[in-house]
Amino acid sequence: MSINTEKLGIVLQNFVTATSDVQGAALVTPDGLPLAATLPGAMDEERVSAMSAAMLSLGERIGQELGRGGIDRIYVEGDQGYGILTSCGDDAVLLVLADKKAKQGVLMLEIKRAVSEIKLILM
Amino acid sequence: MEIMRLVVTGPVGAGKSTFIRSVSEIEVVDTDRQATDETAELKPKTTVAFDFGRLQFGSEMALHLYGTPGQSRFDFMWDILIRQAHAYILLVAAHRPLEFRYARRIASFMNQRRQVPMIIGLTHTDLPTSWQAENIAIALGYIDPQDCPPIVTVNATEQVSVAQAIITLIQHSMQTNLVNAGKP
Repeated sequence: MSINTEKLGIVLQNFVTATSDVQGAALVTPDGLPLAATLPGAMDEERVSAMSAAMLSLGERIGQELGRGGIDRIYVEGDQGYGILTSCGDDAVLLVLADKKAKQGVLMLEIKRAVSEIKLILM
Repeated sequence: MEIMRLVVTGPVGAGKSTFIRSVSEIEVVDTDRQATDETAELKPKTTVAFDFGRLQFGSEMALHLYGTPGQSRFDFMWDILIRQAHAYILLVAAHRPLEFRYARRIASFMNQRRQVPMIIGLTHTDLPTSWQAENIAIALGYIDPQDCPPIVTVNATEQVSVAQAIITLIQHSMQTNLVNAGKP
């Protein structure tokens, strides 16, 4: 069965519009290609995808080699906001870009929800 | 102990990861992921961040080898890696002429950011469709042999061959640094 990319796009778009302080999200393959994305205007989808894949693979490598185990998420905290990478099974990685104002608890919960929704579509 | 950082770059499937695996004394830190783009036609897995290997070179020098991803969507990694590099080798598969232009693009990307010594390593030279070194040099834009960086033939799967290429790179790097030091 082929992946319903339209549905993936809708899920991401809903996630970005419905979650306060989320500025963008992208779902990418582990080798850095875009599956679906809702990103702020200036950001290039392909570049964002490649960066997400590189970051996640390095994070997983750190988890493995430095005895941190399997990686649930990678967290980049800047003074302008957050970039959060979450693995969505073997075939996809979710990147969420959020504003500095975002409440972390809410954000994590919303991401968890989005991930389970995405996993269902990818199955 | 002195650390020399060498970058191994080139198009997809040129043999960058294999090159580093052949000589590294530590288990290579790789970031391979299953390929889903056109890379999948060449090989099942592709590097998405970098490969890292280490090699002791004499008692005074340690070589740190960094392999880049091949696809241009990872050019931010090319940028990160070349900024720290002391020298680099551009690997080019001699039997894939359609990629020469792309290899040239990688080289100019690197040269725009950093002026570090470089050499060209030709892989897959044992095939009937492989191009001759001098023709590849021209295809890569080195029309005048005087300006052409050293070209070596590498079998990325063979430790001796890779070590030879690395020695050539280090020699070239030292010579270039000497020449530059002599300039006012």
